[in-house]
Amino acid sequence: MGGLISLALRSLAARRGRTILSIVGIALGIGVLYASLETDAGISSSIDRTVHDLVGRADLRVEAFGERRLTADSLSAIEAAPGVVIAAPGLERRTYLAPAANDPNAAPAPVTALGIDPAREPAVRDLTLAAGQSLPATDAAAALLTQTLAAALGTNVGGTVTLQGSAGPVDLSVVGILAGDGPIVGSGGRTVIVPLQTLQRVFEDPTVSRVDIVTGEGATPAEVAAALGVALTTQPYVLSSPADLAASLRSSTADFRAMTALIAAVALFVGAFLIFNTLSMTVAERVRELGLLRAAGATRRQLVWFVLAQAIALGIAGAVVGIAVGFVLGELMAAEVRSIGSIPFDRVDPTIASIIAVVAVGLGVTIAASLEPARRAGSIPPVEALRERLDPASARRARLRWLVAVFVAVGVAGLLVWPRDAGTAGLVRSAVIYVVLFLAILVAPLVLGALGRIAGLPFRLVLRLEERLARASIVRDRSRTTLTVGALAIGLAMVVAVGAVAHQSRLAASAWLSEVIPGDELLTSIRPVALDEAAIGQLQAVDGVKRISPIAVFEVARNGVRFDAAAVRGADLLDDGRLRIVAGDRGAALMALDAGGSVVIPQVLADRTGLGVGSTMTLAVGNGQVIDLRVVGVAARTIFGKAGEAVLLGWNDATTIFGVAGADVLAVRYAPGRQIDTQPTLERTARELALEPNPIDRIAGAVDDALGRVFGLFDALALVAVIVAALGIVNTLTVSVLERVRELGVLRAAGMTTRQVRRTVVVEAGILGIVGAVLGIVTGLVAAALLIVLAGAGPLIPDPPWASIAIAAILGIGISMAAAWYPARLASRLAIVAAVQHE
Amino acid sequence: MPAILEAHDLAKRYRLGATTVDALRGVSLSVDEGEFVALMGPSGSGKSTLLQLLGGLDRPTAGEVILQGETISRLGDDAATKLRRDRTGFVFQSFNLIPLFDVTENVALPFTIAGVETSKGEIAERIRDVIALVDLAGKEHHRPDQLSAGEQQRVAIARALVTRPALLFADEPTGNLDYTTGTEILEALWRSCVERHQTIVLVTHDSKAAAYADRVLVISDGRIRDEIALGRRADHDTAPLVGRLAGLGL
Repeated sequence: MGGLISLALRSLAARRGRTILSIVGIALGIGVLYASLETDAGISSSIDRTVHDLVGRADLRVEAFGERRLTADSLSAIEAAPGVVIAAPGLERRTYLAPAANDPNAAPAPVTALGIDPAREPAVRDLTLAAGQSLPATDAAAALLTQTLAAALGTNVGGTVTLQGSAGPVDLSVVGILAGDGPIVGSGGRTVIVPLQTLQRVFEDPTVSRVDIVTGEGATPAEVAAALGVALTTQPYVLSSPADLAASLRSSTADFRAMTALIAAVALFVGAFLIFNTLSMTVAERVRELGLLRAAGATRRQLVWFVLAQAIALGIAGAVVGIAVGFVLGELMAAEVRSIGSIPFDRVDPTIASIIAVVAVGLGVTIAASLEPARRAGSIPPVEALRERLDPASARRARLRWLVAVFVAVGVAGLLVWPRDAGTAGLVRSAVIYVVLFLAILVAPLVLGALGRIAGLPFRLVLRLEERLARASIVRDRSRTTLTVGALAIGLAMVVAVGAVAHQSRLAASAWLSEVIPGDELLTSIRPVALDEAAIGQLQAVDGVKRISPIAVFEVARNGVRFDAAAVRGADLLDDGRLRIVAGDRGAALMALDAGGSVVIPQVLADRTGLGVGSTMTLAVGNGQVIDLRVVGVAARTIFGKAGEAVLLGWNDATTIFGVAGADVLAVRYAPGRQIDTQPTLERTARELALEPNPIDRIAGAVDDALGRVFGLFDALALVAVIVAALGIVNTLTVSVLERVRELGVLRAAGMTTRQVRRTVVVEAGILGIVGAVLGIVTGLVAAALLIVLAGAGPLIPDPPWASIAIAAILGIGISMAAAWYPARLASRLAIVAAVQHE
Repeated sequence: MPAILEAHDLAKRYRLGATTVDALRGVSLSVDEGEFVALMGPSGSGKSTLLQLLGGLDRPTAGEVILQGETISRLGDDAATKLRRDRTGFVFQSFNLIPLFDVTENVALPFTIAGVETSKGEIAERIRDVIALVDLAGKEHHRPDQLSAGEQQRVAIARALVTRPALLFADEPTGNLDYTTGTEILEALWRSCVERHQTIVLVTHDSKAAAYADRVLVISDGRIRDEIALGRRADHDTAPLVGRLAGLGL
């Protein structure tokens, strides 16, 4: 046995080029897997840290629902509820820091002010001080700054910050600096922490935004939740636990993590193709030698081990290189993920366990890919030593079986390392896409002939002979071609699918912006701007401004489910031609909003709830009371809230029924042709009023940019799969050349020039590339459509992602033809004498 | 009869690792137009090497090859390729047909390589003629895997003859065939020589095949040991040749 294994390893060494290609292929697959697992672990640990920072040791968190915060009565009721040991209140207000005295013209800097009870807070959460000391227990003009904010302001312990309160600026002395970004997620680390009483005084606001509860030993959180239901009857509230929060954070990153895991699986699958092809070629080339070994007394098992030993050697080498590739890819991914603001990410250091897991998966997939060639080697009878090739039909059947085996093996490996907390929806979607890709490979042999003929057409026009020979070579070993083209196709399919989903998202975003927003520019405010405030009048008075439309987004609840609502002026939308009303009379519906008692709902909500024009929508308004509103119209798309499209209400209802204090967005429509000359004045005025101007095209650009970052990352990962597929093409073409040595020799003897020989191989690669690209593009579009539909991301917009299609076509054909460089050179350099030598 | 092919002092030396092998050690010969010459000798005698040098498939270490007055042994790759295409034809022991091409396409290959239209006119006529010459009329659209070994080798001969080369080189063309099939091939070569005045250089170690030739050059140890003039004989009797070879101890 030892001698045979040594022969197996020597056989790998003898075909150094092919061995290196296979190792690089499997290494890239493992590298992507490793990087995606590390990224996933980074996101996961970041979520855990965020949850810990956010709720600390609290078992429950009570948050105010809607616009009204929790009153002192509610806080007392919570404190008195049975089972509650500690109730730590917190008040969050968005405000500005007043400009420093030496720079009074600087724009106001937005911050989040957090009021805490310095006595109770330590029982719930550790506020790690980087410098200075904790807050005093009572109302005092003292503040803690996060390290991030202190660095931005250039302030330290002993310094002063001036907070914009409701009655004017208030000076606070900095007593301590908190490590890092502090306890509030989404503030970008710009947080000022002050005693609760101080913040309530500064904002003349006696309420709190949330109360963190630590339950007693005898009471479970569920029992306390039930007790709160009895105690808290005057205000609507939302009760959550750390687990809820973690789950919600995890679900917000689930799609991202599912997609990276899917692409890693695809890269690994493509790598498995390469391994399979390499080992199959070794077996095919050595049929005679293996037959001789059998004739000389080697057992079937020994021949199986001959191949398995090669697979294990390739797998181990691939895993070692793959981990190194994974480190580099992981660093690149980490940098990219960090730049995507919406995904929390912590760096994680690789653990031995994760490295072992990846090596095991890589080795497992390699061995799975080698089982079929190994079985074939074992089944070679001694008489095969006298024949040159295996029966192609039996080889084809065998390979199809193998494909299923590897598909399942990679699938199982994927399940084993699948991020457990990423939710099942992503898993189902990925599984569906994985199956679609697999089906595409199964379809490949059926369409290979026809597609090959069509793909050959452009070459036939100028290189008739080369095209004919190339096509003949492609169908010579249909199963090998299928595997090669299949690997390329699924790599390209991922590129197209990612591009198509990104394109669809961009289309949806731009359609939404142009269809819904009644303005050329949005002014955002971190505090509600009341409709009767002078600010709106001042902006309206700017010469060249046609209209200022106030918009506020808030939360409402129906049957215990909360969703987003937006206050709008119907007359503005009507006048501006915004909103596509798909059910109901447009004019009447929008005017009815202003009259009150009416809502316009988005199509997605109408589809989900069955509500339609004329239906009554019952919303909770607190104190156990509800209000009935009439659905007067259904809009194709509406304004986006936190979680989805909002129900539209008139301002009257929003302020009187739901307590909306004012607009958080003002949409500015310029008079026709006046945007360019009016914009600077308007933006200056807005900044003076502490409003942040965001032109629509900049918002569109920001959306594009954000989508570009996420999808760019996926694209890069999918590209790795394409590169692995390209290595497969080098492999296949090389073997195709080596198998035809004698044929090429005869062609050369018959007068074929070296250029013609080279061109034949390049044309062969070109045809493979075109077939792979066509198959990949079609599969990618199908996969993208499924991804969009399964994600419930709205209706498909029938606008093909031409850019991605073009990239896939150029990539597929270009990469294939580039991969032909070495085999073409090899073919043209074959000495005719050697090629036509006697056996 | 003028000489169509001449070789002067041909030598070929191969390097095999640290050792060198002299495959040919100064061979001179000439072949007349329309002549059928056989190169005979035991394995390793250098006969195939000689044929490869004569056909321009390889370059000699020393000496020169002159085909129709042109020194071909110093030609570059492109010129040698063009010369092979225009003036020579090759038949090898392995038939080496393109599996996906039918008989007509395989025979037409040299024209296809040269970019000549093969489906009509004089070329199509030539293709039909040569297929008839090798007795394959009616099987024009068969693929190699639908043909017997002898038929496949006859396709290879037709492919070599279709360009009407000045010289046809055949390297052990019957080596892979049984007795009867081998005879078919030799008959096809003989017919082309007699009916078309085709010049043929045949490499063989088989005296039965060599007996079809007008003249036999016996190669041994990289040199021409003997020259046996048999003359053109329709009976291809091997007795005179075998007698001479026995005299040489072969």
